[in-house]
Amino acid sequence: MDKLVYDAIVLGGGLAGLMSAHEIASAGFRVAVISKVFPTRSHSSSAEGGIAAYVKGNSDPNDDPNYMTYDTVKGGDYLVDQDAAELLSIKSGDIVEIMERWGTLFNRQPDGRVALRYFGGQTYPRTRFVGDKTGMALLHTLFERVSGLSVDFYNEWFALDLVTDERRVVGAVAMEMKSMEPYLFLGKAVILATGGMGMLYAHTTNAYINTGDGYAMALRAGAALKDPEFVQFHPTALYPSDILISEAARGEGGILRNNKGERFMARYAPKKLDLAPRDIASRSIMIEIREGRGFPGNYVGLDLTHLGESYIKERLALAYEAAMNFAGVDATKEYIPVRPAQHYYMGGVDVDITGKNGDLQGLFAAGEAACVSVHGANRLGSNSLLETLVFGRETGQAVVSYLKRAEGSSSTDIQKEAEKIVNDAYSFVKSETGVHFGEILNKMRNVMWEDVGIFRNEDLLKTALSEVEKLRAQVKNMYVTDKSKVYNTEFFNALELRNMMDLAVVIAKAALTRTESRGAHYRTDYPERDDKNWLKHTIAYLKADKVEIGFKPVTLTKYQPEARVY
Amino acid sequence: METQSIQNNLEQREVLVKVKRYSKERGEYWQEYKLNVDRFTQMTEVLRKIKTEQDPTLAYRASCHMAVCGSCSMKINGEPRLACKTLALDIVKKYNSNVITLEPMDFFPVEKDLVVNLDDFYGRMFKVKPRLYPPKEFMEGTAEPRLRPEDQKELWKFAQCIWCGLCVSSCPAVKIDPEFLGPAAHAKGYRFLADPRDSIYEERLKILVDSSWRCTYCYQCFNVCPRDVEPVTTIKKTRSHTKFLKDKGEVARTGEKHVKAIFDSIKETGKLEEAKVYLTTYGLATAIRDMLYTMRNGKVGFAMIKEKKINELDQVRKLMGE
Ligand SMILES: Cc1cc2nc3c(=O)[nH]c(=O)nc-3n(C[C@H](O)[C@H](O)[C@H](O)COP(=O)(O)OP(=O)(O)OC[C@H]3O[C@@H](n4cnc5c(N)ncnc54)[C@H](O)[C@@H]3O)c2cc1C
Ligand code: SF4
Ligand code: SF4
Ligand code: FES
Repeated sequence: MDKLVYDAIVLGGGLAGLMSAHEIASAGFRVAVISKVFPTRSHSSSAEGGIAAYVKGNSDPNDDPNYMTYDTVKGGDYLVDQDAAELLSIKSGDIVEIMERWGTLFNRQPDGRVALRYFGGQTYPRTRFVGDKTGMALLHTLFERVSGLSVDFYNEWFALDLVTDERRVVGAVAMEMKSMEPYLFLGKAVILATGGMGMLYAHTTNAYINTGDGYAMALRAGAALKDPEFVQFHPTALYPSDILISEAARGEGGILRNNKGERFMARYAPKKLDLAPRDIASRSIMIEIREGRGFPGNYVGLDLTHLGESYIKERLALAYEAAMNFAGVDATKEYIPVRPAQHYYMGGVDVDITGKNGDLQGLFAAGEAACVSVHGANRLGSNSLLETLVFGRETGQAVVSYLKRAEGSSSTDIQKEAEKIVNDAYSFVKSETGVHFGEILNKMRNVMWEDVGIFRNEDLLKTALSEVEKLRAQVKNMYVTDKSKVYNTEFFNALELRNMMDLAVVIAKAALTRTESRGAHYRTDYPERDDKNWLKHTIAYLKADKVEIGFKPVTLTKYQPEARVY
Repeated sequence: METQSIQNNLEQREVLVKVKRYSKERGEYWQEYKLNVDRFTQMTEVLRKIKTEQDPTLAYRASCHMAVCGSCSMKINGEPRLACKTLALDIVKKYNSNVITLEPMDFFPVEKDLVVNLDDFYGRMFKVKPRLYPPKEFMEGTAEPRLRPEDQKELWKFAQCIWCGLCVSSCPAVKIDPEFLGPAAHAKGYRFLADPRDSIYEERLKILVDSSWRCTYCYQCFNVCPRDVEPVTTIKKTRSHTKFLKDKGEVARTGEKHVKAIFDSIKETGKLEEAKVYLTTYGLATAIRDMLYTMRNGKVGFAMIKEKKINELDQVRKLMGE
């Protein structure tokens, strides 16, 4: 197997990966960015609403970073590490200014300063945006910027696994998708910036490529995930494509209706009605559907028709267009078909506020792949783009100082380990019979959706755990019909499924362990938050097919837990 | 009543999807798949279903399923489109047939099935130095890079290119002229050329102006772009910067002559006889081929506008300084 030698290797070409690569390259180190898609195809491009930031001289005069920290901590139902949230708030202004200087075309106020809008859970408006395509605008700016530096891009290269040497990461094995050739990438530091995992769920707003590869690679290398049970669901995803219909639609007066035309939120949140928080609205919709009051296909209607055509087209242009383009529905005349869908993963590779993992020397993580943790049990809208950039940068800088003192090569036979990784991966292709990835994939996505989803309880989670364990065992008998040596995407889909299964067992086990309801983790058998027993992070390892769960304290600085009411 | 319409229209309908496949070993061949779709089914979902339920060997690209990542470019019933932005039943309706054909994009070499090699496309994009080079003071933070809201609006239109490659795959000028940068690169280049905060204007002009005169104004890029970027508009706008270029090359000079022809046409009729100017410049063969594209696209009305002399010709001539 050919070797490629770098100082640092970044897995992932989304916002987090690119920002860390920028820092490492700017400091004069050799860095490779490996991405299974061309970087601008990364999921970061889908983000719509905006990026939160406190910018001195260009924020609400009453706002200040402390409010931003507080909002973040409360939004995360107090599972947030408060030092991390403080750092996020303090560095937010810098990041937005940097992106602006690099050319991001933020919407403007009449005097030329960057414009602001309100987002859920903010005491003062502090979200900056580029129309409704903020993620795309930021991602293109950053990619174009980094492509002008001496960074080596390996686009459409699939990372299989990390290569380790006792307690240290020494590189990764990745395969060029076009030629199907595996290569050993050697580097003193590896950053996992592989994004989220929406494809584990039957319904998700995420891209098809979000298969949680980084979480699984970390687990297999012996690193822990933090808070893996926390999965965020968004109440209004377009049926059936699960494209996000922004909260703005309900903010402007949209009404959720069941198949009888009833405004069912009156039953669940008589005061807030359709503007109830994301988790409550999601649960209510699910109840309607489960009790047979959804539409065939299992969705409810988002009714804008009473708002009038001109109002809809002016104020809710995006919702109108999405319904038209992707569902063929004219929102001025019909309900928009919606249902909840997985949206974001709060859990991730366990790292500190410099992006460093404590289990393996040289291993770092950033972005949605990491759990720093700034989102706690529930992420606030527009904080995630911010996290990718702030912590992408912090991590890049931490890697730079790590590289300055890291030692050189190791003793064990790295080449052998790399070959084992490739052989393991190829074991699917070699077998001639067995189950096929499509079958297992669909089953897993349904189990996760039904039993490890918006509603959880002991019975469901126990069933789920044994189901996913069974499916995970079947993965070992998986086979790939395509034997081609060019873009064998069936092979990569199979590898993605292997990754999803490793993560699925960890999520199911952690969700079963946490016997309380906090943020997005809702247990019908334990409906209350329980600070006495559960104000702590879950730390999960996957060791020899067994999930091992431990705990870590939450870092509290200024804010003592209080009830999360809005 | 709205309730009713959703319910009634949810019925499934069977479509026959014909995919033009390619592999090094087997060469090119067509394969057919039958599946059920409803009024909501996107073509990316059709592909995903085929791959997970019928034929896992089929190769294609897709990521965001919401028309922002630019992965799923292909030809659907001969039209260059994003698969995710195309509903199966809309195609059935438009062509009045339940057969849907999928082919890889034109122009780019096919690697496998619907996956094409985009190296040439990326090469074009990088040639125009696609990044802001702000003056030192901005980078050091000693000056504030404010942007007028109207500039933001204008630039954002052209910055929305998602690098999908559809325009380049269907551009006739790219196919015959190796010196032409192509529509997407021009959009990208212009987005920075026109940014008041950029500091390498001269260099950008040198990269862009000559090439801008090589476009045939066929509007194919305008027709196919899924994000309404209007690359051809940026080419027009770039041409107008020719006067600022110090050493003009052959093409730019001919181009300016071409503008003169247009000027004369307007003087003559009060209008731009686009078709006539185009024909004399590029010959009948190219013109016919482009017209076929346009017809298939259903935009023929746009290209067939008859040029008649306008009534206020005197006033136009006056405006032109006669
Ligand atoms: C519809 C939607 C709207 C959103 N809107 C907002 C918003 O308005 N504001 C906000 O703050 N957040 C928003 N978010 C969340 C936010 O977009 C994401 O959390 C964020 O973009 C993640 O960025 P990332 O860099 O961590 O990962 P990604 O952008 O997902 O990048 C992951 C990278 O890893 C690579 N990769 C993965 N696996 C492998 C492998 N095995 N080998 C090689 N490469 C691999 C991929 O190719 C990709 O380049 C939204 C999310 C969704 C779903
Ligand atoms: S208008 Fe110009 S750039 Fe656009 S497709 Fe035609 S020749 Fe190409
Ligand atoms: S200009 Fe339009 S068609 Fe061309 S690559 Fe960009 S988005 Fe695609
Ligand atoms: S899948 Fe992203 S543009 Fe179609």
